[in-house]
Amino acid sequence: MTLLSLQTLFIAFFGVAGVAFGVAVFRTASMMRSALALLFSQTALGAMFLAMQAEFLGVLQIMMMATEMSIMAIFMVMFMMDPGGLGEMEMTHQKRLSIFAGIAGALATAGIALFTEWGAVSATAPDAALQVRELGTELLGRSMLIFETAGVTILTAMIAATAVAMPALARKKPA
Amino acid sequence: MLALIILAPLAAALLIPLLRRLPAAVAGGGAAVSLLASLNLLASASNAIHPALVLSGLPDMPLRLVSTPITALLSAMVALVASFVLVYAVGYMKADPEKPRFFATMSFFIAAMQALVLAGDWVSLLAAWELIGLSSYLLIGFWYTRRTASMAAMRAFLYTRTADLGLYAAVFVLIAASGSSEIPATLNISGGPAVAVSLLLLVAAMGKSAQVPLQSWLMGAMAGPTPVSALLHSATLVAAGAILLIRAAPMLPPEGLLAIGLVGGVTTVVTGLTALGARDLKRLLAASTSSQYGLMLIAVGAGVPLAALLHLLAHAAIKSSLFLGAGVFQHGRDTTTLDGLRGAGREQPRIFAGFALAALALAGIPPLSGFFSKDAVIAAALASDHALLLGAFALGGTLLTGAYMARALRILWRGEHQVRHITGKAWMGTGLAALVSLALVLGLAFPAVESLVEGPLPKSTAAQIAGLVAALAGLGLGWFVGGKRLLGPLLDQARHGFVIAGGMETWVVRPSLAVARSCEQLEHALYQAVLAVAHPARLLARSHKQIEAYLYNGVVAFGRCNDAAGRATRRNDEQGIDGLIAALVRGTVALGTHIRRLQSGLIHRELVMSGAGMVLILVVVMTSLLAFA
Amino acid sequence: MSPDLMIALLTGAALFGIGIYGALSQTNLVMIMMGVELMLAGALVNLVAFWRFLHPDSYAGQMFVLIVMTVMALEMAVGFGVAIARFRAKGSVEMEEAQALKG
Repeated sequence: MTLLSLQTLFIAFFGVAGVAFGVAVFRTASMMRSALALLFSQTALGAMFLAMQAEFLGVLQIMMMATEMSIMAIFMVMFMMDPGGLGEMEMTHQKRLSIFAGIAGALATAGIALFTEWGAVSATAPDAALQVRELGTELLGRSMLIFETAGVTILTAMIAATAVAMPALARKKPA
Repeated sequence: MLALIILAPLAAALLIPLLRRLPAAVAGGGAAVSLLASLNLLASASNAIHPALVLSGLPDMPLRLVSTPITALLSAMVALVASFVLVYAVGYMKADPEKPRFFATMSFFIAAMQALVLAGDWVSLLAAWELIGLSSYLLIGFWYTRRTASMAAMRAFLYTRTADLGLYAAVFVLIAASGSSEIPATLNISGGPAVAVSLLLLVAAMGKSAQVPLQSWLMGAMAGPTPVSALLHSATLVAAGAILLIRAAPMLPPEGLLAIGLVGGVTTVVTGLTALGARDLKRLLAASTSSQYGLMLIAVGAGVPLAALLHLLAHAAIKSSLFLGAGVFQHGRDTTTLDGLRGAGREQPRIFAGFALAALALAGIPPLSGFFSKDAVIAAALASDHALLLGAFALGGTLLTGAYMARALRILWRGEHQVRHITGKAWMGTGLAALVSLALVLGLAFPAVESLVEGPLPKSTAAQIAGLVAALAGLGLGWFVGGKRLLGPLLDQARHGFVIAGGMETWVVRPSLAVARSCEQLEHALYQAVLAVAHPARLLARSHKQIEAYLYNGVVAFGRCNDAAGRATRRNDEQGIDGLIAALVRGTVALGTHIRRLQSGLIHRELVMSGAGMVLILVVVMTSLLAFA
Repeated sequence: MSPDLMIALLTGAALFGIGIYGALSQTNLVMIMMGVELMLAGALVNLVAFWRFLHPDSYAGQMFVLIVMTVMALEMAVGFGVAIARFRAKGSVEMEEAQALKG
């Protein structure tokens, strides 16, 4: 407990929160509540990033996820036949398989995490401003190609999403 | 000219079977042409022109046809008799359906006889001799459906054929001894060969001229049609024997002559007695023929062949007319037995007149031709070395001639008679009249013949008187006494042809049949022996056949095994291997069906599979990395 | 072993597991996407933890995080486009009914 620092505490807290909300996503029958739970989970994770001194990433995470989850909530309402979850329908399938797969995956990654020799842990992290500057340098320097690829991919995705989402054109019947 | 005499009837003989129409006319035409040619030949011979025809035959033995006075005379005689008999035959054969065969064979015979008569060398004479024998066989057995006729033909053929051996042997000796085949050239031999030849020729003449002991075939030959009897068995074929001896006469030694004379004499008497006891008119005439030829042989044996020739010519005309007359009576009464012909003469008076004239001519009544010829014979016999013997025979023969002819005349004249109609009587009558007139007139021609032939001809008044007496006595005996009483105890013997010690039957027939039977038994034994030899072979073959059957069964069983193996293989293939493959296919299809279930199209299932796949890849990569690390 | 790192990693593992469970067990497309989001979030946590505690001087980790976030956003965009198209065609986005590709 002496090694427990504030950082550790916050990380643990937000981690647990994130996991809890994540669980709640799938435990509730209401779609709205699932969306909101996910929102809170992602936000908790963002806070966790902040606790790990990755300010930029944390902020980014919180902003993006908030927006995304809101949109998701809207879509939820659009597409769900029972967004409120007031009906008693079973909304899952292959439950046993999924539980098994989930536990297997979790255990696998946990096992790897626990049993790997990670090496020396760094105690300090750079300054936030320095981080942003370094990140920008990294972005526009070494990882320029990755960035550009990402940009093209975004464009493609936007076009694809728009095209898919557009209503089907009325086809002229052959005369 | 010579060739025409032979070729005309030969052409007719060949033409008739081809044409099958108007056979009598064709035959008559051939005979007429031949007659004209032979008369022409005779005319030129009388003018001392002797044509000859030489054809190439065997090496060193060419075939010759010659015209000498004798041959020309004989040729003319044959042609005359043949023509008139053919005229007669038209009427005789009117009702017979086999006219083409008859006239063709008759023409063939005429051609062969002319060839014999005109032959200049032994080879052609021999050939013609055989051909006339063949024609005789065909003509005697003309009505071959009758058993008597076919048997008589066979008998005649066998008798004459056996006697022909004598001629063959004689010809061999003659040609070997003289080195040539020409007849006049070969007659120069003498000594032992000459005696042998003369005896052999006598044997041949005995056969052909029906002398004792070979005389019985002639009587059997009467089963043929009467024109055949008239032509062949009175004037021509039976004359061949006498002709042979006449032509060979210059060569005959005294021993031979004696033998000939004896044979002739015995024949004359024996056959005369047979004629006296005969019960059939034609058989009577046949026996008479043998008897007359016996007289001719007596003449030759006496050393005067000219007398024999004269008698031959006269006899030809006379005997043929007698036969023709008998034929008419036969048609009237449908029989030739004397019992059946009683009184037949009265029914056909004109025919009977001709018959009677010929009969008297035969008996030797002047001025008919028979008198002159008989007289010559008796004179020759009395003038010969063995006058007593031959003379006695000759006179006896003359007596008997008169006797049997008178007998025949009496039987024909006395008896029941009625009017009968005979078809073809005109033709028959014409032929008969022609020959009868010839018989009557021929005597007048004899002096010309004598000058033509130029041979010794003894004449004696004693002979004439003796002959006349014998003839008249014979006629009287025959007319008033009759055959049966004259013969008395000899009747049975006469009826049976004077069979001595069993005759031909015992001496020839039975031994031959015995030999034949033993040969048959020998052949049978040989056959059994062969079979016995063959028997083991047959057993062997049978056992082989059984073995072969077993082998066959074995092969068949083997084949069935193979068949079964094949079927098993097929079953194995179809059900085994094919089944295997089908099972494979089914397995693959089932596998596909099972795997198809993965393709559920459900997203979540696909997600699971994606996840599993990713884990797999991860594991592989990790292990490979770790392995390299 | 630093406890911070451990905690972060375990969090990440837990989120990953929950995400798998969600992606495989939900019938609705949006819920499946939520599961995927959770999985990606777990990966993000791991990445940040690795950067912070193992290589704080190298920014490749942060770069990776940016990319992952981008991918999350894109995936959600395209996914929702597909959902709209599906909804238009069939009237719902239930995955149980999407059996047209059944083999």
